[in-house]
Amino acid sequence: METPWWADDERLLAALGQARRAADEVPPEFVSAAKVAFLWRDVEAELAALVYDSALDRELVAVTRGGQRVLIFRSGTDTIEAEVGPETLLGQLLPPRPGTAERQLATGEAETTPIDEAGCFVFSSAPSGTFRIRCRSQEGVVRTPWVTGGPR
Amino acid sequence: MVSLVRRAHAGDKDAWDEIVERYAPLVWATCRAFRLSRDEADDVAQTVWLALLDHRLREPAALPGWLATVTRRECGRRSASAAWQRTHLKPWADHDAPADDAPVDRELLEAERNTALYAGFRQLGERCRTLLSLLVRLPPAPYEEISATLGIPVGSIGPTRGRCLAELRRRPEVAALIRSEGG
Repeated sequence: METPWWADDERLLAALGQARRAADEVPPEFVSAAKVAFLWRDVEAELAALVYDSALDRELVAVTRGGQRVLIFRSGTDTIEAEVGPETLLGQLLPPRPGTAERQLATGEAETTPIDEAGCFVFSSAPSGTFRIRCRSQEGVVRTPWVTGGPR
Repeated sequence: MVSLVRRAHAGDKDAWDEIVERYAPLVWATCRAFRLSRDEADDVAQTVWLALLDHRLREPAALPGWLATVTRRECGRRSASAAWQRTHLKPWADHDAPADDAPVDRELLEAERNTALYAGFRQLGERCRTLLSLLVRLPPAPYEEISATLGIPVGSIGPTRGRCLAELRRRPEVAALIRSEGG
């Protein structure tokens, strides 16, 4: 029976050499960008999972850009709804309560806007890249996972 | 691996950096296998690492498999590779072209093998890492240089190499790879 590659010292060493060279081929910025992502670790906020995305719905019927994209996120007790249009992002925190909404971009920028008594908030620009929303109220902080893309 | 993920989840930046060092080559090689552009690769990587921070640090088991799967999925979404789409998204269209996605599959398997070996290598002691690095260098370092660098007689290099490779085979990632290849 033939000796498998991993049982043979020479071939294991050759495979390790290949693995080392593959690792050396990775651009340093590719690695450093991944390390920096750690800044976005967020253990304070409760994570609300994406339960509906109209962009995924519409893929089936191949609708093109232009309309509103509706996203719904849910945690154990809270719901965050977002309507992403070409120029605004309208959101609502449910059950309704006032607070502050923050939209974070993966690039590091962030902006905040008040949440009114009805739980509504608005950002007067649409995010183009990857973003997430954090809603802070007296009950604590709840946030969405990262979402890619703007309207669609 | 599990303890590394637990530490990262608890806020240990060094643990996160080590996870990235071990697995960025897998993400990169997967993007290469799908022939993504650099911008697309950066985009895939961002999605994968942010998803890891969001979800997976809460469930440390089977991280390498999760990373491989999610990276492939994200690459597949962005892939301009007609072959991939033909085989994996529209299997009914198979008959009109040869299965020329074989290189993609082969490269993905290679990437996973490389990742396991590299992850295992990074867990070895410093002397083993130095010795094996010198031995896999192209061209390989002469034994006299290895002897001088490590401060061991030339005659001990062979046995030390054997011990280091045995140690490498026992690392969990490498042991899992060997099992997956029928060992």
